[in-house]
Formats: sequence, structure tokens, C-alpha cells
Amino acid sequence: MKLKKEQLKRQLYRDRYLYLLFLPVLTFFIIWHYIPIWGARIAFQDVKYVGKNVWVGFKHFKVLFSSPVFFRVFMNTIAISAMKIFLCFPLPIILAFLLNEVRSHNYRKIVQSIIYLPHFLSWVVIAGIFISLLQAPDGVINQIIGFFGVKPISFMTSTKHIRWVFVWSEVWRSIGWDSILYIAAINNIALELYDAATVDGASRWQQAFKITLPSILPTIITVFILNLGFFMNAGFDQVFNMMNDAVINHVDIIDTYVYRIGLGKGNYSLGTAAGLFKGVIGLFLILSTDKLSRKVTGEGVW
Amino acid sequence: MVNKKAKGRVGHIVLLIVLGLLALVMFYPIYNQLVISLTGNEYIAQADGTTIIPRGITLQTYSSVLSIPKVYRGLLNSLFITAVGLVVNVVLTSMGAYVLTKRDLFGRNFFMVLIVITMIFEGGLIPDYFLMKDLHLLNRYASVIMYKAVNPYYLIILMRFFDRVPTSLIESARLDGSSEMRILFSIVIPVSVSGIATISLFYGVFHWNEYFRAMIYLTDEMKYPLQVILRELIISMEKASFVGATNYLQMSTTAVTLDFKAIKAALIIIAIVPILIFYPFVLRFYVKGRLQGAVKE
Repeated sequence: MKLKKEQLKRQLYRDRYLYLLFLPVLTFFIIWHYIPIWGARIAFQDVKYVGKNVWVGFKHFKVLFSSPVFFRVFMNTIAISAMKIFLCFPLPIILAFLLNEVRSHNYRKIVQSIIYLPHFLSWVVIAGIFISLLQAPDGVINQIIGFFGVKPISFMTSTKHIRWVFVWSEVWRSIGWDSILYIAAINNIALELYDAATVDGASRWQQAFKITLPSILPTIITVFILNLGFFMNAGFDQVFNMMNDAVINHVDIIDTYVYRIGLGKGNYSLGTAAGLFKGVIGLFLILSTDKLSRKVTGEGVW
Repeated sequence: MVNKKAKGRVGHIVLLIVLGLLALVMFYPIYNQLVISLTGNEYIAQADGTTIIPRGITLQTYSSVLSIPKVYRGLLNSLFITAVGLVVNVVLTSMGAYVLTKRDLFGRNFFMVLIVITMIFEGGLIPDYFLMKDLHLLNRYASVIMYKAVNPYYLIILMRFFDRVPTSLIESARLDGSSEMRILFSIVIPVSVSGIATISLFYGVFHWNEYFRAMIYLTDEMKYPLQVILRELIISMEKASFVGATNYLQMSTTAVTLDFKAIKAALIIIAIVPILIFYPFVLRFYVKGRLQGAVKE
């Protein structure tokens, strides 16, 4: 026991400069991450401008859960997230398959370089691009549908279309980028498998479904599970930059609600409570998907 | 047999066309903004979503837009925040990654857990805001520069690069009596150039595209980065509250009667250009970095 203590002391002394080097990083994490976590306690308090805040238990949560606005916001979050997973999840997989079939290396590289680009643009820029793209009547989309005799649609202010605008702009931004993981997984498949299949006379389709798909299935499952883990983030930056008064009831999500109620209207406790509620659900989703991932693929999310 | 081969060739051509169209769909919306921003003022009224070649090509829109104080200040602010932020990010992240790569460090696992927790749980927007307020950082560049100064995902990615540095190299430097700081900056970082490049690009893109924290932490318009100005123009313009800025335009000396569409397009392009300049590096390092690290950024 004493020997161990002695050894530890020596080790600590030996590494003293490493600890010193780590100190700024540690300080940073405590200040920028852990103080705000502690600060989230105002969800359980009434904020007083003079004197100390008063603990009020779950008062703000009760207000939140009985609020029809929050209910709508919650349902919007789920709806938008679900719509996004429905399209943004499978499309990159299909794209990876298609890219894999291209025989010209250069052609594939050029296509890839172009389709990754939107991922690096901010949502402010993308919102600007899409607003102009979807403008009625002179945006390109309205010009195209006008060519087929459809009357111009004001997509950005149409409650019927706005969620699809979110979904498709997300696809535009992420389809190329999200395909990278699958492309890498496909590249890792042993070529001998394909050679053997070709000798046996398997067609390209058969090879895709009997070799490629099963080989990259673990990647597909991991990505899907991760998507579920981040389900409550319906895409703050996107919604925040693309929404307008005409469609707000259809697109307002928890994160935009937190901003509007909390910082916009100064209802700090209620906003923090909403954020915390979302955080707890998110945490639960991530931990359970991690468990699920370990069960299904044998590997955790981390 | 011949028939089958011919069918395969047709299929392949169809595939190439489909992918080509996809690339066009990804590229055209950006190109369209470029066209509108370059169109001469006398033709701008006819320029729309289907204009492929700009008429009366001119850089007038750009020079006018860049002469708006808010805009050129925004551009300088963005460059400043990105540059300083990048240095702070890279230095801090390297220090963290270097220490945590030493597996037998007492308390290392505890530190790792501390960092991983921040990846899955955060205090949230309002506590973040109050922290800035309590630190008296509101309306200071530092609030934006320091925000997420060490991104835990990028830290872990950098650790994977540092892991590859031969331990013997580090140990022998230690025996020679080099300080840890010196080992980090003159051995580990120089041999991990691609790792540093990767996280620099991650952080660089993050800072360049950041608008939200700047919008809520900074109150002085002259401190806003470009993205916030762009947001003001793009989003507010649709709601006709842009009138204030128009007056601004007419007040500035070089401004001609500019078309909104063109101003907006020029600003969008200005915001994209730095990304395009670094794009070859982005493709080289960022894409690989994605595979190195966590699945989500």
C-alpha cells in the first residue's frame, strides 16, 4: 500500500509538466462546458434581478408541458426529424453504390469533388441560395415547373411545402458528404470476393446485393443508430435561417423555441427548461442507441 | 453475349449521366448566384434563375458591396475571428491531445470521461449566454473566439494522429532533457502535419461559417462577422426590413442604384470564396479526417 502510494507520487512528479500543459485545456472545459451545465439549474429557479434566484422545483416544466405551443414545437421537431431520416439516410447509401459502379476514376473524382462542396457552406449561405432558387416566379424551380404549365409556387411561405424544402435542402447539403463513409466501407471490401463472383457469373446487380450490401451493413446500421441518437436536433441552423412568419407554426422546433422564448422574450427559466428537456431526451436516446449499437454491431457509438 | 455487353455499356452511360446531373444540381444553384452577381446593372432585371451567361459582365456589384462599411467590416471581422480563433484552437487542442495520448498518465481516463461527457450533454444556449455575461465577454471578440475553443471531437481526431508518433522519438527527447512544451511543438506537431492541417480546416470552416454565437454575444454591429451581415441582408430582405440598409447604400459614395438580387448574390459568393480557395486542402485532409474520427462531427 505504502509502496503504491510512493510509486504514484513519483509518477505524479515525473509527469508534473504534462499536468501543467493540460491545465489550460482542463480550465477551458470547466469554464466553457461545466459551468453552463451547472448554470442550467435556472430551469428549476425563478430568476431574480435583485437578490438570489429562488428554487421552484419543476414549476417551469409544468408550465412547459401544459403549453400548447410547446406541444406543437415538440411535434414539429419529431416530424421534421423523421422526414429527414426518411430521405437523408438512404439517399447517400444509394449514391455510394452508384459511384462505386463508375469505371472512370477521374469522372468519379470530379463528381465527388462537386457534390461534397455544399457541406462546407453555412446555413446562412444555403438559406440565401435556396430562397433565390425557390423564388416565385423567377427562381429556377418555378421556371422549370412553369415550363410544364404549373403555376408558380411560393415555396418558402407555403405551409404545405416548407418542410419538404427543409428535407431537400438538407439532402442537397449532405448527400455527398454522408456518402463518404459508405464509399470507404465499400473500398474496404476484399476484391477477391468480386473476382470470385464474376467467375461464377454473377451480374453487377447480384454483386451489389449479395456482396456489397451485406459487407457495408454494419456501417449502415451504425450510421442509422447515430442518426437516431441525434433525433432531437431537427437542425437549428437550417430552421432558424429558413423560417419566416408565414410558416412558423409548422417549422418551429425546440431549439428555435428555446431561442425565441429564452433570449428573445427573456423568459430564461422556461427556455432553459425546454432546452434541458430536449437535452435529457437526447442523452437518453444516445445512451440507448449506444447500447443498441453494441448489441447489433458489437461496437459502441464511442 | 455481345448483346449483354452492349446493354452493360448503355447502363454505364445512363449511370454517368445520372451522376453528372446530380453534380449539376449541386453546382448550379451556386453558379447561378455567381452569374447574377456578375451581371451588369442594366441587364439585372432580366437575370433570373435560368440565366446561364451573365450579360454585361462587371465587378461593379462587388466593388459597391465591399464599399458598404458594414460589409467590409464584416469581412475583416470574419478574417480576424477565424485567424485568431484558429491559433487558439490548434494550440489548445494540441496541448490536450498530446497529454491525453500518454496512456499511463495518472487520471487520464478521468479526463477523457470529462471530455466525452461534453460531447453528449451541454448546458444549453441560455446558460452559455449567462456565462458570457458573467465573464464580461459580451460584445467582445473573445466570446466568439473562445466558443468551443477545444472541440472534443477534433481533440479525439488529433489524438489518433499523435498516437502514430513513435514513442521512442518522444522518450529520447525526454532523456535529452527537452521540456514537454518543446517536445510537443518541435517534435510531435511537426511530424503530425496532416493531423494539424485536418483540425485546422475543421476549425477554420467552423469559424468562417459561425454566425449564431456572434449574433447573440456581440451587440455592436461593427463587430459582426460577415455571416451575420449576410443573414441580415438575406433573411431580413425578404421581410422588407432591409430598407435601413438601402439608405446606407445610397449614403455610401460609390454606390449606384444596386439591385438587391445582385447584392445578395455577391455577398453569397464572397462568403463562399474562402472555402473555394482552401477546397483542394479540404478535399485532401478534411475528407480523410472524417474517416479518422467520430462518425458525426
